[in-house]
Amino acid sequence: MGVDVAFKVDKDLILKVCQFAKETPELSFDLLACMTCIDYVDHMEVVYNLFSFTHRHKIAIKTSLLRDGELDSVTPAWNAANWHEREIAELFGITFKNHPDPRPILLPEDWDEGFPMRKDWEGKDFVRLPKK
Amino acid sequence: MSDYPKNEFPTDETDESNLTNLFNLLGKNQAGKNPDTIVEKTGTEEFIVNMGPQHPSTHGVCRLLLKMDGEVIVDLVPIVGYLHRALEKIAENRTYLQYIPYTDRIDYVSAMFCNHGFCMAVEKLAGIEVPERAEYIRVIMDELNRIASHLIWLGTFSLDLGAVTPFLYCFREREMIMDLIEMTCGQRITFNYMRVGGVSRDLPDQFIPKAKEFIEYFKPRVDEYEAILTENPIFLGRTKGVGILDKKTAIDYSVTGPNLRASGLKWDLRKKEPYSVYDRFDFEIPTGTKSDTWDRYIVRIQEMRQANRIVEQALDSIPEGEIKAKTKPVFKPPQGEAYVRIESTRGEMGFYVISDGSTIPYRVKLRTASFSNLAALPEMARGWKIADLVAIFASLDVIMPDVDR
Repeated sequence: MGVDVAFKVDKDLILKVCQFAKETPELSFDLLACMTCIDYVDHMEVVYNLFSFTHRHKIAIKTSLLRDGELDSVTPAWNAANWHEREIAELFGITFKNHPDPRPILLPEDWDEGFPMRKDWEGKDFVRLPKK
Repeated sequence: MSDYPKNEFPTDETDESNLTNLFNLLGKNQAGKNPDTIVEKTGTEEFIVNMGPQHPSTHGVCRLLLKMDGEVIVDLVPIVGYLHRALEKIAENRTYLQYIPYTDRIDYVSAMFCNHGFCMAVEKLAGIEVPERAEYIRVIMDELNRIASHLIWLGTFSLDLGAVTPFLYCFREREMIMDLIEMTCGQRITFNYMRVGGVSRDLPDQFIPKAKEFIEYFKPRVDEYEAILTENPIFLGRTKGVGILDKKTAIDYSVTGPNLRASGLKWDLRKKEPYSVYDRFDFEIPTGTKSDTWDRYIVRIQEMRQANRIVEQALDSIPEGEIKAKTKPVFKPPQGEAYVRIESTRGEMGFYVISDGSTIPYRVKLRTASFSNLAALPEMARGWKIADLVAIFASLDVIMPDVDR
């Protein structure tokens, strides 16, 4: 499995860093293995898990932003980011700038109850399990 | 049609004068338009066709919007989300152990992998060593499940192409695997078999002889499927050269698993980044050369043989011992995060688990193979006909609950 390496990157640089990670021959991170978002209540964190088939190494790139923040879309680097970003935008309420297809993806067409993956989301039948 | 007066409508179209009559009639009904332009117009206009959500060839509820030029697909938009059950949200509201049965529902055709991946992620988080026997049992179950899942795929794939016999054959063999798994964990589809630190119960006494019997029985069965399909001219006509997905595009879309291997990249996490005890077994990674639908078929056929080999070796070398590491009754992994990926039937399956030190995961991200594989469908389908789309879609082996989660 190896050691997990993670970098924190400023949110305005995310597209540049991602393109650099993909195009530099020594790095050549050609696979966007996973992309996700975590709600830390005071801020959001977007994580890109990258992998390189050529060098067989992997990193995670992390960036923090405000809850209703904006982030550059990384679809110019990997087309795979397209659906992942649509999912994050709809479930967490982050806007991806210059996204080629910013439609919702998983939720019903007539959904109007906010962003369900946020920690403070309240739904009609949603009961929170007490934390121990 | 109802606008035509019945007695005026020409019936014998071979007669030239009747044909002129027909055009005149058409012209009359189109309010004075020249009949020639009407015919020309209907021939070239692009139109939209809706396929699904309830369509037999989409293997679940998936809607495809097709932009057609005649019978040729110009563009395609997959619309997903009909099976979204908020599994990631549920994870934030259940304890680690309570969540294991939910993972079965991510991809119910190969539920063992979902169990395995989630347990591995939590074990990595908590630093738990899994006993060797449990790892062997996990590998045996994974590979049996891989065969069962590929059998379902092969059956439905051939059914989509019009061959009914392989479907019946596949389900006959799958039934035997289901019996083996049911014997062990009591379930046939949603197994809920693995636990953090091992598996829920040991193999029963009859399991190993029965499984060995199955392996010997299954070897010639793969040849039987191949005899029906591999060299079948109709099958070749439907699959050879259809729906090409080149390596570069596949990686760009994060396509993994058999689909990526069919595109010519020799990549299998079991071999290249071995987890569990996969490094102890001898098996090959089948790859394709032409990246077409037929390659995706043959790669999976070969994978069934390889999975069978792995089960055979594992059954021969399974050690005695514990089946589960000891964990505390109230399970609280330390703060931290773990990203684990395994080679499931459909490709790379990733579990990103974040713990805040309580009994409930802070966040669980499910990276499923079908989600990324389906996103690449428009790249493969452009320029092909609807009938080919059915073959291409089936060859991707997309499972809709795996996409929507």
